[in-house]
Order: sequence, then C-alpha cells, then structure tokens
Amino acid sequence: MAAGKNLSLFRDKPVKVLLAKPGIDGHDRGMFVLAKAFRDAGMDVLYAGLLPTPEEVVDTAINEDVDVIALSLLNGAHLVVFKKVADLMKKRGIDDIAIVGGGTIPDADRPKLEKLGITGNYGPGTPLKTIIDHIMMRAEEARSRKLGIA
Amino acid sequence: MKQTAEEIADGIRAGNIRSISRAITLVEDNNSLITGREIIKSIYKSTGNAGIIGITGPPGVGKSTIIGNLSSMIRASGKKVAVIAIDASSPFTNGSFLGNRIRMQDKLYRDGIYMRSLSSRGSSGGLSRSTWDAVRILDAAGYERIIVETVGAGQADLDILGMAHTIAVALAPGLGDEIQAIKAGLMEIASIFIINKMDRDGAFMAMKDIEDSLALTPQNEWKIPVVGLNSITLEGYEELMAAIENHLSYVRKSALNAKKRFFHEVKAALMAESELRINALTEKSMSGLTDLESDVRNKVDPYTVAEEISKSVLGDIA
Repeated sequence: MAAGKNLSLFRDKPVKVLLAKPGIDGHDRGMFVLAKAFRDAGMDVLYAGLLPTPEEVVDTAINEDVDVIALSLLNGAHLVVFKKVADLMKKRGIDDIAIVGGGTIPDADRPKLEKLGITGNYGPGTPLKTIIDHIMMRAEEARSRKLGIA
Repeated sequence: MKQTAEEIADGIRAGNIRSISRAITLVEDNNSLITGREIIKSIYKSTGNAGIIGITGPPGVGKSTIIGNLSSMIRASGKKVAVIAIDASSPFTNGSFLGNRIRMQDKLYRDGIYMRSLSSRGSSGGLSRSTWDAVRILDAAGYERIIVETVGAGQADLDILGMAHTIAVALAPGLGDEIQAIKAGLMEIASIFIINKMDRDGAFMAMKDIEDSLALTPQNEWKIPVVGLNSITLEGYEELMAAIENHLSYVRKSALNAKKRFFHEVKAALMAESELRINALTEKSMSGLTDLESDVRNKVDPYTVAEEISKSVLGDIA
C-alpha cells in the first residue's frame, strides 16, 4: 500500500495534528492557511497560538495525544527550537507522535533536521497537497504505533 | 509503545498523564474499541468521585474563556481539575479546527490543568460519542472537578443533561429578549445561568430577562441563580464558583440522582452497543433473527420486521 493511503486507519478518528510556532515568531498567516487546508483535508487541527515555549508545545501534544506536531518558524531559529522540541519528546520517551517542520529553512539545514527525526521542512511556495500527503504519511506511522499495530 | 489495557488502567489510576491521554485516544477510535472498553471496565470502580460541570450555550458567548478562568480558580482552591472541550467537525470532510484550547492555553500550562479537545464527529447532541468515556477516565485518574464544554449549542443540544451534575448555561447580552428566555430546550436544563460580557450594553437587562422568566417557572429546592460575569476583570467568578459548589453538593446528596445518572450511562452504552451490532449485521446473520425469505414473499413491511426483531431482543417496552 502506498504511504499515507491507509484511510481506514483514520475512518473513525481522523489524523490529529498540532500546529505550533514555538519561539519568538508572530507571523501566523501561513498557519491559518495550513489550519484551514488540513481541516478541509479531513484532519482534526489544533493550533498552539502565538509564542508557546517548546515545553508548552510538547505538553499540549501529549495531553491531546496528537499524531503529528507540525512546527513552523520564519525567524531562523529552527535548528535551536525544533531541536528543543525533538529533545523534549525524546526525553519523555515518546515515539508515537511524529514531528514535521516548515518555514524559511535553508537547504543546508534540512538534513540536520531530518537527523533529529523532523521531516518535511518545506519552504514557501510548496503546494498544500505535498504538505498534506507528507503529514498523512507520518500520521500513519504514528497512529499505527499508538494502536500497537506497527 | 504498546501497552495492555490493564497497564493503561493502572496508569490512569496512578494519574499518569500519558496513560490518560492514550486511553482517551483508544476510546475515541473504533479501531481500538475492544481495548478501550476493557480499560473502562477496569477503571469503572474508581469513578464516581468527580464533580462534573457542563458548560453549554450558543457559539461566541465566551464558554472557553469562562472555563479558562474558572478552571484556574478551581485549581487555586486546591482541587485537581480537568477540561474536556468539544468542537464541531465538518459534515463534509469530517475535519475540525479545535479552537477552544487557544482561549485557555496560558492558564493550562501554568496551573497544570489537563485539557483535551474532542471533535463532535457528526454526533448532534453537543457532545461526542466518546465524551462519557473521557469523563470516566479523568474521574478515575483522580480529577475532582471535570469541566465539559459542549459544542456551541443550539436550543436542542441536550446530551449534557445526563452526564453533568451541574449545568451552567452561558449567555451574553444581545441574544434575545424574554421570549427567548421562556423557550423550551437549552433554557430548561440549566442549574446555573451565566451572563458573560457584563461590560456590554444591555447586560443587566439580559440578567433581568432570565430572572423574570425564572420567577414564572415553578422551581424545586434548588433556586437557579443568574450570575453575571466580566471575564476581563474576573468580576462575578467568586459567585460562580460558590454557585457551582453549592449545586454539586445539592445534587450529590441524593441517591436518586445517582440512579438517574446511571440510567443515562446504561442508555448511552446500550445505544453504542446496538449501533455496533446493527452495523455488523449481514444478510446471513439477520436471517437468524427473522425469516427474510418469507418476509419478502409475503411483502411484510420493514417496520414490522424491525419491531419484531427488537422486541425479541429487548422485550416489549414502549
């Protein structure tokens, strides 16, 4: 089966995704575009609001038991802040919530983020469908782990 | 990380946040129905200690903001508090934007309040199918007050009635006059009325309209209070807290109420169970309940057949 196409997995309970901009970055127009697109793609969408700390993002993700955390930053601090989120998740032993990234991320930084398990890392101009497909793929891994079928 | 139902149930009883979160996921998802039910069966004996407070009312009156302030104050009074908020899901794509959390975000993390957003998943009574189970999980985990926020409710979204001990109906100025206030439905289920946005024009008139219509209604021992709130200055919140606590002790005094709640619990469980079984029916298994062939031959109408089947299962109840 093609990745991200196991729709029956999400029939009763859609993909749950947390959108977050941890750190000092107030540009959330893009977040609203994504939130609406994800909702229209049939997902349950949470937005962490402006200026949450990485601790708050992780806390929210655990309380809500989301499938995917979608991080975005436009301020260049992704290597520090995204890493902090990934580290906190690791420290708390969580392996069934996927992390994806996006924003203004230089090509050179993408492999570094991938190494932390943060995938996607799409920049401006990426078609929404590309982002949605990627999230579906990561969500499928996460959900299968949650239900103990992976 | 795969855990058994029993491990998760132990985690819930110990108040472990990850076990609580995971359990709610499992009861929300039909893919894990069996595990979800095993968990609920296992923890059920530990439930029944929490005071369950429903907050309902039309969209935009400030339910989430009220809950943010209220939960923070309850926490400050020393009680463990959790919040469940239900948001509407799209009838077209099944997706949802769970926006309640944003309104209370800052307080949640600071005060260590557990909050979970659920989407209504096409369920139309203002709650989602799994809300009962989520409440039970939080109850068993030792939360002393559980606040349930319904979807921005219409006049007939009354599911909360069977579940909550105390129901606060939140309104705001400008929603309607005393004619609205004497309408049936939502207005009849309140144990407490809240008028939020008391800084707005017409707020005192709105309070008075509700009070007037309550004066026309024969009331039992519990006199329904009308509390005015200003959610910016926090005026009125002490009064709201007191009203809630008074009502909770009033309700929980009576064994009659406990039986009534249990009736609603069983009814909800029965509905879930029969839906499941009906969905699982095939032509073959239905033939075990009625003679389909002879029904077709004799042109028996489907209502008669359905009535016969349900009578044979549930007995002759009206």
